[in-house]
Amino acid sequence: MINIDFDNIEQSQPTLYDTLASDVKFLNTPHFELPPNANPGDFLRETFDHPSAPKALEFAHGTTTLAFVYGGGIIVSVDSKSTQGPYVASRSVKKVIEITPTLLGTMAGGAADCSFWERELGRRCRLYELRNKELISVAAASKILANIVYSYKGYGLSMGTMITGWDKTGPQLYYVDNDGTRLHGQRFSCGSGSTYAYGVLDTGFKWDMNDEEAYELGRRAVYHATHRDAYSGGAINVYHVQKDGWKKISSDDCFKLYQKYYNIVPINKPAN
Amino acid sequence: MFLTRSEYDRGVNTFSPEGRLFQVEYALEAIKLGIGVQCEEGVVLAVEKRLTSPLLEPSSIQKVVEIDYHLICALSGLVADARTIIDHARIETQNHRFNYNEPMGVESCVQSICDLALRFGENRNSGEERMSRPFGVALLIAGIDEKGPSLYYSDPSGTFTQFHAKAIGAGSEGAQTTLQEKYSKTLTIAECQKLALTTLKQVMEEAITTTNVELAVITKADQKFKIYNKEELATVIQTLE
Amino acid sequence: METLKLSALPEKDKQQPISHGRFEAYVDNGGTVLAVAGKDYCVIAGDTRMSDGGYGIQTRKYTKIFQLTKKCVLATSGMQADTIALQKRLKSMLESFEKEHGKPMSTPAIAQFLSNTLYYKRFFPYYTFNLVAGVDEQGEGWIWTYDAVGSHERVKYSSQGSGNQLVIPLLDNQVAKFNQQIVEGNKDVSCEQVVSFVKDSITSAGERDIYTGDFADIVVVDKNGVHWEKFELKLD
Repeated sequence: MINIDFDNIEQSQPTLYDTLASDVKFLNTPHFELPPNANPGDFLRETFDHPSAPKALEFAHGTTTLAFVYGGGIIVSVDSKSTQGPYVASRSVKKVIEITPTLLGTMAGGAADCSFWERELGRRCRLYELRNKELISVAAASKILANIVYSYKGYGLSMGTMITGWDKTGPQLYYVDNDGTRLHGQRFSCGSGSTYAYGVLDTGFKWDMNDEEAYELGRRAVYHATHRDAYSGGAINVYHVQKDGWKKISSDDCFKLYQKYYNIVPINKPAN
Repeated sequence: MFLTRSEYDRGVNTFSPEGRLFQVEYALEAIKLGIGVQCEEGVVLAVEKRLTSPLLEPSSIQKVVEIDYHLICALSGLVADARTIIDHARIETQNHRFNYNEPMGVESCVQSICDLALRFGENRNSGEERMSRPFGVALLIAGIDEKGPSLYYSDPSGTFTQFHAKAIGAGSEGAQTTLQEKYSKTLTIAECQKLALTTLKQVMEEAITTTNVELAVITKADQKFKIYNKEELATVIQTLE
Repeated sequence: METLKLSALPEKDKQQPISHGRFEAYVDNGGTVLAVAGKDYCVIAGDTRMSDGGYGIQTRKYTKIFQLTKKCVLATSGMQADTIALQKRLKSMLESFEKEHGKPMSTPAIAQFLSNTLYYKRFFPYYTFNLVAGVDEQGEGWIWTYDAVGSHERVKYSSQGSGNQLVIPLLDNQVAKFNQQIVEGNKDVSCEQVVSFVKDSITSAGERDIYTGDFADIVVVDKNGVHWEKFELKLD
């Protein structure tokens, strides 16, 4: 018996309807639209770098974030100010992104870039968990994120993040940024206030401090960064990552901390 | 039923003179027993695991799988086919969470599964078709959303129907009659469990044990599924006698 | 007497080649939108002036507020063409969502969906500054405030657009009672009070921002639906 392959005969040119239908289908599925004339990484700068251009688009940016590993787990401490240029867009941003119930990410750089890609990371981690019946390791999760942002190299993403969690290998901390850098380490800080935070963090760090001391170190490091860096401020949120997942420890307004640390009574406090 | 269905069973897109698609019907027959019961408080799924050999490791057969926290699915038929469907459903539910920051509705999820079931055919070079044959798997999908707990049945033809109680697979006719007699809308979740397991027990050839059945529930109180482990299953089976 | 000679005007040596026009992707048509959420309602205000990017006024009746569902509106300032494109896109997606899932999209879902929609234009953004305002499934009023590429936050009050920096301090002080030593009064202000406050706010923005003026749409979203009202601002 002879097998006749009809496939080659029946192949025909796509009709106008086919191309239209595929165009519509493409437009209805999520995809990134690219500027028509320029390299995506240069487009915004070129567009607004002109006297007759409208006011430049300022994206919300995040600032001082830090995370460190110590004997009792991992501490993540962040500020909550979001700025668009010199304008304070918000003083109540959640810069700790809860990727999954066991993984935390932080936000520094473009707020939209961080929150979008860490949401996407959360989706992929959840699918990994469903398919493999076990939680993803922090190493694998951070690698997924690093691979995503590396594939958008030159597109102008802005992101500096710490991915933390507790997996089979214990507490893990990774730093991932928009260049595709991915580092495993014990102490990281990111954003414009990071240099100030590092100073306090490295001075006060002891491996075997107790939990309260660790929370206070994280809080103080970010507090001093908010004091010297105008792009940082708002409230300081502290998270603790332990074996059974993360939990939020505290959220303190910087101004209250200032009064507490320096024992200063507000100038215009109403007389009692 | 005919023994041979002559030339009308060769292709998946040829209807017989009576308007039937035999390939789809063959797929429907390749199914083993599963039972789902829904009440006000939640949904129960109970499935028989046919252990063909004492050398077979029972834990390697999984018949109730998680789609999302609020959606589970009992499968019977060709498990390999089901994996494709389940993965599709998992991606759909996760995409829904990503896009809308809310869990996917049960009916929407069932709909997306049934959309996949139709993607078969013979001209696979163009268009949507991905598979040469229909899925040989029927599913009982249990879930909870803002409309409350619900139970759906989907078959290889891509049809889906909502049920209060449903038995699928080999011996399902008898089981369905039992369910019809004993079901009432006022059942509690514990009574639903009992109903599902006793019905399963009637039809099963072997005695019911903790290794050859699987039981899962979704309750309104938890909004989250739970697959029973051996100890929990043992306590439920004890109440049957 | 010798006549004073004027030197010749400088002349261009050669005709310069005609420089081709730049691709100008954006124009800022200005305008202010603001929203305040109460316990079970939202009040949204947006002026209706549309400027040409400079000092010219193109129309005095361009509505910046767009109704998405019975429980939710979108208020957008920035570029009018991008705004229309965004509204059209959201409307078509909301319709297909309703057909697919058999229910209208909830307000929190819309908030997330808008964020993703804006982010998919991350490399060629819409020149739009958005507020989503509405009531959620529990009937509570909320505002979601966005940057151009979809970074968003759920808040109780916000403002966007050319008068943003004028209005926000007022809202900070009067709605959030920021930095007030004595915070008094009950927190559950009535919808009528908020409407009147929102009218004052948009009027103040119109006083000091040239891109804001003419008329204002005052929109109230509550459990009964979306109610529109026109309000006059200065026309100069």
